[in-house]
Amino acid sequence: MTGFFGGKVAQYALVLFVTITLNFLLPRLMPGSPLAYLAGEDVGAMSAQDRARVISDAGLDRPPFEQYLTYLGNVVRGEFGYSFQQKKPIGTILLDRLPWTLLLTGTALLISTSLGIVLGAIAGWRRGRRTDLAALAVFIFLESLPGFWVGMILVAVFGVQLGLFPTFGARDAFARLTGVDYWVDVGKHLVLPGITLVAITVSATFLTMRYSMLSVLGEDYVTVARAKGLAEPQVLFRHAVRNALLPVATVFLLNVGQAVAGATVIETVFSYPGVGRLMYEAVLARDYPLLQGGFLMITLSVLAANMLADLVYPLLDPRVVKRD
Amino acid sequence: MIDTRATPSPRPGSAPVAARPGAEPVAPDALRARHARKIRLGPAGWAGLALLATITLAAVFAPWVAPYDPRQTTGQPFSAPSAAHWLGTNDIGQDILSELIWGARVSLAIGVLAAVVGTALGTAAGVLGGYFRGRVDAFLMRTVDVVLVVPFLPLMILLAAYLGPSVGTLALVIGVLVWARPARVVRSVVLSQSARDYVMAARALGSGSGRILRLHILPSVLSMALAEFVQLASRSILLEAALAFLGLGDPIQKSWGSVLFYAQARGAFLSGAWVWWVLPPGLLITTAVLGFALLGFDMERIVNPRLRRR
Repeated sequence: MTGFFGGKVAQYALVLFVTITLNFLLPRLMPGSPLAYLAGEDVGAMSAQDRARVISDAGLDRPPFEQYLTYLGNVVRGEFGYSFQQKKPIGTILLDRLPWTLLLTGTALLISTSLGIVLGAIAGWRRGRRTDLAALAVFIFLESLPGFWVGMILVAVFGVQLGLFPTFGARDAFARLTGVDYWVDVGKHLVLPGITLVAITVSATFLTMRYSMLSVLGEDYVTVARAKGLAEPQVLFRHAVRNALLPVATVFLLNVGQAVAGATVIETVFSYPGVGRLMYEAVLARDYPLLQGGFLMITLSVLAANMLADLVYPLLDPRVVKRD
Repeated sequence: MIDTRATPSPRPGSAPVAARPGAEPVAPDALRARHARKIRLGPAGWAGLALLATITLAAVFAPWVAPYDPRQTTGQPFSAPSAAHWLGTNDIGQDILSELIWGARVSLAIGVLAAVVGTALGTAAGVLGGYFRGRVDAFLMRTVDVVLVVPFLPLMILLAAYLGPSVGTLALVIGVLVWARPARVVRSVVLSQSARDYVMAARALGSGSGRILRLHILPSVLSMALAEFVQLASRSILLEAALAFLGLGDPIQKSWGSVLFYAQARGAFLSGAWVWWVLPPGLLITTAVLGFALLGFDMERIVNPRLRRR
């Protein structure tokens, strides 16, 4: 029991360590002074005092190992540094943006997982029939679409031409809505980016669920259930689907990373004020500390989601813990 | 996307040599002959190959096929499609069709280069880990776990932003982050191969590790690595498009993703221009990705259906 979780925790700790170390090393390993990466390209135009202040703030005048320890300490305390472009502490900016990304990816993952499970189960059950083949073709096609492009097309068709949904931002900032109206507005803004994110994450769940159904339907207990004379829906949902769900849980984990990655570009298309859009803004402004903060925040969220799923998974399938 | 491709169950009679436990030892030549007989693409594979061939031909013959030099201003900015410019022009009067034909070179080159890097790294890691086991294997597989968990697109954005935009950098950054899957797949093949009788026999006869790896392990891994390469190319093209769309593409050598970056930056999808400026590049990306994906699906089926189940 402890071995299973211990191993997982060690793995995540390792990922976190690698991420933080990479963040520390990148600006310092690049050719030229790390100053431009840490304080912006106009560092050349600074006065000597300002420059000295930036250097001592960033600790660049101290030995590398000490810098590293300071950096680790800062990250642990949630101090990600200062964005020279937005003139705000990066931690504050990230906390402003994070809820929107969580809302978008969370909603989309919920929908795409349920959709993938139901459709995958049906396709597996109708294996080789027309329904199955059509679904398979559609989902393989969906998996080949660039997410941001799907978003652009949706904006053009449903937003601009048909005027059905808002295409910009996460809420109407000028309408000063409250209560239910506010949430309806937020929901409307969520529709198009949500659909885009569902479109690019649903295939993985669908394909896994379908394949898993195919192997489960060949099991003896399914034959027994049929032989008992159970109605087909009962065989399907009571006996087959439940067991076929297990591999989907694993894919869900990979999908979390996939959704977060997808959100980075999709938020850009819809100007959705999440962490992904923030990274795009940071790229355009060459605001490296902000870029690094965004990356760290996304990694932390993905790790947290992974840990959560690891805690839940043994409840679904006790065998994973016993085996270790 | 990783690990999730469903594999059609093996057709009767097509069980590959490697998947048969306890098969009698076969001479390498006979083995190769058997493999050769099985490489027969199905309809999906042919469809994929046809899609790829079309795009590749256009890319190779770009100077003759493209109506204009995509770097030159050859028309009024923002013009709609006409006889002179089939897909209209962009914000500075460059011909969009020519941009797309030349862009095929960049998109395909980065996709294929990244896949080469990823496959090479993955195969090396898989072969070393699977053959030598022990600490080497443990280290490599822990690295694979780390690479699989880190959110790769944000990491790519970070790396690409630091290293600067160029075709080589992009291919390298993508390649370095997609090798985890081939490493796992190749490792599982190597694990099953190195336990086979003929490898034991070779070792008993005094072959060194280098000779065994070269003569027995590598050939058995190559077909699998090729299938992985095709799948990686499919993913890499999508990733390159995403990076270029975020403004991290090579500004001198425009790819399909960069065309979309400019279309987005100039608000093309807010006017009717999206029909000729946004739609075609996306369709081309999809065609290339789908082409590689279909070919890859089919190759996976041929190479080894059972080892894919993890």
